[in-house]
Amino acid sequence: MDLRYSQEDIEFRQKVRAWFEENLPKKKIESFEERREWHRKLYDAGFIGMGWPKEYGGQEARPMEQAIVGEEMARVNAPAGVNGLGISIVGPTLIHHGTDAQKDEHLKKLLTGEEIWCQLYSEPNSGSDLASLQCRADIDGDNFIINGQKIWTSGAHNSEWGLMLARTDRRASKHNGISCIMVKMDDPGVEVRPLKQISGSSEFSEVFFSDVAVPADNLIGELNTGWRIAQTTLSYERGGNTLSRVSRLQTTLDRLLEVAGELRVDGTRAIDDPRIRQKIGQIYSEVEVLRYASLRLLSKLEKGERPGPEASVSKLHYSELDKRAQEIIQEILGPYGQQISGAGEYAFDESDVPYGEADTWAYQFVWSRAGTIYAGSSQIQKNIIGERVLGLPKEIRADRIELEERRKEEAAADD
Amino acid sequence: MDFDFTEDQNMLRDLAREFLTEQVSVAHIREMMEDETGYDKDLYRRFLGLGLIPFPEEYGGAGFGMVESCIIMEEMGRIPYPGPFFGTVILAGQAIIQSGDENAMSRYLPDMANGDLVVSLAFLEDSASWTPATITATATKDGNGYKLNGTKRFVPWGAQADVLLVAARTGEASGPDGISLFAVQANSDGVEATPETMLDLNSRTATVKFSDASAELIGEEGNAWAGLDRAIQRAAVAASAEMLGAARRAHEMSVDYAKVRRQFGQVIGQFQAIKHKLAEMLEQVENAHSAAYYAAWALDADAPDATLAASVAKSTANEASRHVCGEAIQVHGGIGFTWEYDLHFYWKRAKHQEVFYGDSDYHRERVLQEVLAGNVAR
Ligand SMILES: Cc1cc2nc3c(=O)[nH]c(=O)nc-3n(C[C@H](O)[C@H](O)[C@H](O)COP(=O)(O)OP(=O)(O)OC[C@H]3O[C@@H](n4cnc5c(N)ncnc54)[C@H](O)[C@@H]3O)c2cc1C
Repeated sequence: MDLRYSQEDIEFRQKVRAWFEENLPKKKIESFEERREWHRKLYDAGFIGMGWPKEYGGQEARPMEQAIVGEEMARVNAPAGVNGLGISIVGPTLIHHGTDAQKDEHLKKLLTGEEIWCQLYSEPNSGSDLASLQCRADIDGDNFIINGQKIWTSGAHNSEWGLMLARTDRRASKHNGISCIMVKMDDPGVEVRPLKQISGSSEFSEVFFSDVAVPADNLIGELNTGWRIAQTTLSYERGGNTLSRVSRLQTTLDRLLEVAGELRVDGTRAIDDPRIRQKIGQIYSEVEVLRYASLRLLSKLEKGERPGPEASVSKLHYSELDKRAQEIIQEILGPYGQQISGAGEYAFDESDVPYGEADTWAYQFVWSRAGTIYAGSSQIQKNIIGERVLGLPKEIRADRIELEERRKEEAAADD
Repeated sequence: MDFDFTEDQNMLRDLAREFLTEQVSVAHIREMMEDETGYDKDLYRRFLGLGLIPFPEEYGGAGFGMVESCIIMEEMGRIPYPGPFFGTVILAGQAIIQSGDENAMSRYLPDMANGDLVVSLAFLEDSASWTPATITATATKDGNGYKLNGTKRFVPWGAQADVLLVAARTGEASGPDGISLFAVQANSDGVEATPETMLDLNSRTATVKFSDASAELIGEEGNAWAGLDRAIQRAAVAASAEMLGAARRAHEMSVDYAKVRRQFGQVIGQFQAIKHKLAEMLEQVENAHSAAYYAAWALDADAPDATLAASVAKSTANEASRHVCGEAIQVHGGIGFTWEYDLHFYWKRAKHQEVFYGDSDYHRERVLQEVLAGNVAR
């Protein structure tokens, strides 16, 4: 065990820190185009797609270097770039399963933010049970004809492209009839309807497809292997960069300590109230444990080990911790935690500091409810941990019973 | 950055596990519950004979640090081992080492390493608190030595110890200043140890009364607090590892049981209520692991956040082991509530260590103090 950063890592961190001091936007990013420009700057500095192969525009950086950039960005509350899903999901999907032509066409543009992508997986009736999806892609000559609906599509309104899972064989069992297809979001027949989230903003949408013609060349991998392809990239999403989450939480706690040093409860400063001290000590400890766990994961990644189903323990940990932390922060701040505007001296951000998305206590609180739903809900993570890490038997489910019965019928028919 | 154990550390774990699983049978643990002394001296000596002792080499140890201590204690927690290893080697050993008194080290440590001496630290008083302000025992100069007066509570293996290390006041001050550390021979006049039975029958403690007992100063008069604090921190981290071992074992037993116990025509591990509970327990065990070993490393490396990490580790292990060992009983149902089934060993060992060397409230407060003082890793 040796948890020191190497000299190389320390120097790299200094370089990164200096870059952000120099280049951090001086004023708040207002428009998507401004954010795209900022993203381009991050890309030119070598901070985007860092782990990707060089031939596709990446840096082949070590996991530690990627983690350091994530941490440093969070430390100064740097605005996020664009195309998060494109870079974390679509890129790796193309790298692993795309044709050379598909890679040449998209990978570089995806990194630089020229092409923004969204993830067209979830449907109204297919969320956790994603494999039950019904949106169809029927082959018609050189095209797929797409009909159906997707929902909760983050960033759909800003995207040029979408990575879709669609049903291409309706007779096959549910996991075996799905394909992975690239769809242009401005094709005729695609309609994006933004949905308002509990945060009040519209970051995800529902997307309708009516007879949308998509070239058959847009298929990724083989026909009807979409489920397997999606599995490889969903695990990327779950691996996550937890150290940057830690930094973000630490930045939040730093501000909480400042506020607790000024806010008065029952005639004393909040920070002198033993009940509040216990609460802050509690979250601070939990965030430290997340940091230690992240270093443990990172040390495995550095050795080239890829976390398998254990990544679910990490996802469960950080998403549930975020909820606990935000609840405790709200308890401490009382009504000040709920202020959306008109916030004064106890607000989360200070207006002269450049920042990204999370700009009020209330906004952070609201967002903490999302992490345990997307990218596999906490219940799904617990199933994965129970079945694939601990080796407990799979649960008895109606769809499995149905499948079993169908297999029996087919076997009987064959006889 | 490497969070994995070295090859030597893995070998150390294997050696400890092999000895403990082979030599400390369930029958032995149960026998020791009824035993007046509470541990087998011969077995204790044989364990020490393996040489897995975290003392400096010149005093009969293996030169191990806290990471190694934690590996040993985690293995002991998996048994859980009945005997004075923790009290003597970790707690009292650290109290002597951290005092910086080389005379005391050469006088006591070699005999503690070979099993000739059982030593304990008598710190707690009536309020059972680990803060320095609660120390009221006094020592007054008497010729070359001192006379010690006061009552110490919950002294680990206090009735079995040959030597008691006692925290007492030599001055008028009431806080951390004026605390000194003394060695008292347990069989000398004016020392009266009353053994007490605790929830964990394998973790013995005693109330020890000192009435003008002859005492020998360790370290400098009035300056013992800093060293004691370091020793208690190390004990807290080693106890975290012991609780981790207990929790990990209770979790393993629960997973195994959930795969074989059938109700309603299926194994209970197929019910989500049980499966999800076991998944949550795993998360807590892994968190306790990350926290205990991070803290052990930070103490060994003298990292700026070592004190913070020690407190994070203890409060995390407290909550995790309490929850995991308790839920393990729930997963087992009625059998988990029986004396004959071994699960309660772990639950009780974890509960025992939870309240010593700082409970969760104590450590959460300490975490905040360290953060406000800027003693963090950034
Ligand atoms: C902020 C946000 C952004 C998102 N962005 C995208 C996106 O860009 N693209 C995209 O495709 N999707 C996106 N999603 C959708 C997300 O992936 C789904 O919400 C998620 O898969 C859950 O599906 P669902 O909403 O249909 O809930 P359901 O699956 O209906 O779940 C409802 C409840 O039932 C529980 N449940 C379901 N199955 C089980 C089971 N087997 N055992 C126990 N409990 C179960 C769940 O845990 C949950 O508590 C986003 C969601 C959110 C909140």
